[in-house]
Amino acid sequence: MQTTARPAALRVFSDACQTMVNPEVRHWKGQGGRVVGYFCSAMPVEMVTAAGLLPFRARAAGSAGTELSDACFGSINCSFPRHALDLALRGEYDFLDGLVLFNSCDHIRRLYDHWIRRLGTPFVRILSLPRKDEPAQVEWFRGELSLLREQMQEHFRVGMTDDRLREAIALHNASRRRQRDLYQRRKGIRPPVTGAEMLAVTVAGTALPPQRYHQLLDGLLMDLDQSGAHSGRRARLMVAGGELDNPEYLEVIESQGGLVVTDALCFGSRLMWRDVDQAIDDPLTALARYYVADRPPCARMYTRYGERLEYIQSMVREFAVDGVVFVRLAFCELWGFEQYSLTADLRRLGIPLLCLDREYSQTNAGQVRTRVQAFLEELGDRHG
Amino acid sequence: MDEKKLKSVSRMKEEIAIFEPVLAALRADPGEMGHLQAYLIENLLDNHRRIISCVEEGTPFLASQYTNPVEILTAMDVPWYFHVQQQFAAGGTGGSVHTEEDLEEMDRLGIPSDCCTLLRLLLYYQAAGLLPIPAAYLALTEPCDGVAGLHAAFMNHPDWRDVPVFCPDPPYHDDPRAYGYYAGELKRMVEFITRHTGKALDMDRLKEVVAETNRGYELWFEYAYLRRAVPTPHSYVMPMSCFYILNTGGAGDPRHTQWYRGMVANAEARIRQTRPEVPHQKVRLLWYDIQPLFFGELVPWLEQEWGAVICMDMVSYCPYELIDTSSEDAMFLGLAKRALNHSPMIHQARGLAANAIEDITRIVRDYRIDCVVFPGHMGHKDMAATTSLAREACRELGVPFRYIGMDICDKRYTSVEEIKEKVSRFFAVMKPGELAREAWPSVRVPGDVSHRLPA
Repeated sequence: MQTTARPAALRVFSDACQTMVNPEVRHWKGQGGRVVGYFCSAMPVEMVTAAGLLPFRARAAGSAGTELSDACFGSINCSFPRHALDLALRGEYDFLDGLVLFNSCDHIRRLYDHWIRRLGTPFVRILSLPRKDEPAQVEWFRGELSLLREQMQEHFRVGMTDDRLREAIALHNASRRRQRDLYQRRKGIRPPVTGAEMLAVTVAGTALPPQRYHQLLDGLLMDLDQSGAHSGRRARLMVAGGELDNPEYLEVIESQGGLVVTDALCFGSRLMWRDVDQAIDDPLTALARYYVADRPPCARMYTRYGERLEYIQSMVREFAVDGVVFVRLAFCELWGFEQYSLTADLRRLGIPLLCLDREYSQTNAGQVRTRVQAFLEELGDRHG
Repeated sequence: MDEKKLKSVSRMKEEIAIFEPVLAALRADPGEMGHLQAYLIENLLDNHRRIISCVEEGTPFLASQYTNPVEILTAMDVPWYFHVQQQFAAGGTGGSVHTEEDLEEMDRLGIPSDCCTLLRLLLYYQAAGLLPIPAAYLALTEPCDGVAGLHAAFMNHPDWRDVPVFCPDPPYHDDPRAYGYYAGELKRMVEFITRHTGKALDMDRLKEVVAETNRGYELWFEYAYLRRAVPTPHSYVMPMSCFYILNTGGAGDPRHTQWYRGMVANAEARIRQTRPEVPHQKVRLLWYDIQPLFFGELVPWLEQEWGAVICMDMVSYCPYELIDTSSEDAMFLGLAKRALNHSPMIHQARGLAANAIEDITRIVRDYRIDCVVFPGHMGHKDMAATTSLAREACRELGVPFRYIGMDICDKRYTSVEEIKEKVSRFFAVMKPGELAREAWPSVRVPGDVSHRLPA
């Protein structure tokens, strides 16, 4: 199904996903660069870039167990923060010079409470992210960003002027445009990348220095022009849900013959489907508006279920999707209730849906394969 | 009334039918505290009747949460109901006759079973048409993800999709900027209510209502202080279960204040006469997280089997402050602070884990607690991740700590018998409260309670 050798950039992206401190980060640190981690796609990475620091989205790649963090969490807590804290307690996050969290969800906000008590990261902040997208919320979040700017400037002794923010916004927007370009190419009958490869591309964008990432994306787009394409798959799939940073999970799904052609994920299209509005004069207002109101919302933004449904519908139409795979981390209530609504609405709209629960570390590959296989058969039956 | 409307109030009518004979019995033989119990029931039933009447007559009413300042709704004279109340009845003492059937129907909805049962049940009630459809809906996104997720799903139901909704957005921080932001949200809530009910907010009336709730809160401090006495004057059941009822039942009612006054007077009398409601108290318990009332006979069992009295619990212990009524802005700021910081569960679960840990630490010290039981509801994911910090705090305080996972509405998760077994083993091993407490220290009851506010 795959015709020619894969572009070299895909290997770099894939490597960046599989390890915590990838060679680019190691090189950055080796040059005396500093790294600010963050735990949610609501983080205005442009601010970190503007400060001359490296934004690094925290994951738990390579975590094999949770022996150290189990004492901190209960049995009904999500496995993602459990694995992330475990890695941190093992020293794997010692390379961070700072960390920014949000009240993203119950599990992550308690991760903050444990992090500040048990780890020595020099600069740790939790920001209050609204759950609505009205002007008052944009204004509130702008205030949060303004405080963060002051605190970062003071702690890291860096300048974060409006001009530097504008430059950083332009750089990140340019990368978003290239990522969208990749998505556009997946709309055709023969998409040039698999879903797993595409997820590696977007995840790597949260783990590599932005300038370097931008160059790699350029290279990838050029290489893909000459590269082969994927065809002959049994079905075109869309993956929807929240946190999913492991391309291997999509590989398991795709191993059964389906091809993931698009997504609605926090590490996927939600990161870049729209740009920060560069026409807004005040860059902090532009960032606040983007991260609270303009970008595609996740399940935490409670007033915007209709938009999320519409987003999935439009993806299904544009990418000629045969079926949606909804993936949820066990114990996630936000996406749990979303699943209830989506199940009813996608059924009403005639869009086939498969719901999968997962743990952060991929331990149920066999079960996923079986369920995806059955789903693909069901899709095949629909197509006659 | 059409069939749909009739069905929507059917559970309220059932509750009225169940409680009316209880009320009659209490009135006939009130005993020492029956009049206080009777008032709670009257209050609940009056609210039900008010909503039923709105549904029958087609007059506007709201569905809301106890954390959206009740003072504002009262001052605007807008009837409302707490749409999570039915679950409390379902999970409460003895459950309801429908509990088993409701849970089974709820399971069929297909919501992941690790999501909060209380909230899944609400979606079932909605799907089954058992909730009266309001003119407008005041939602909530705190204190937990389940609540935020639920409201998104709730608003998507075909019968509710067109109901106008407003949800104040609580910030995560506790500082003047956060309170100011939330006060703005509350003002926007008032505009919303006016737009959809035609009722305006009279500031003089709001001032009256807030002044009355201030009096109630002042008496609540007093009462909470009296429970520090050894032995503690009252059992857990009645006084500590009233908070929700009094607050969801409408703020600013002088009868509520009178109720608090009655509780204080009775507690004082018992202390003076060395006549605790629970005799032979051996263990002073802090019951943190969900209330034990959801497990029927648990409290009487604790008291009778082990002489264990719950001196304080999470829901009853909040850092109440009185509201400055000198200006509109001051009142809204105070209401914002009260909504964010003083509402049970919101205070403990909305913000940092430190809120809960500091509470536990203060309660253990102030109430001379022998041991802490942390009955973690399966929906309280944040609390589950707070438990280890609570355990550490208790270790430092030298107080035994026991976490027991349970489900507020579904006894299939952890049965009452299992809880009893775990508590018994805990008591047997840790031997809390072994020291006999024969002394009955005098408790000063000064008029000014401000010095007793938690720091």
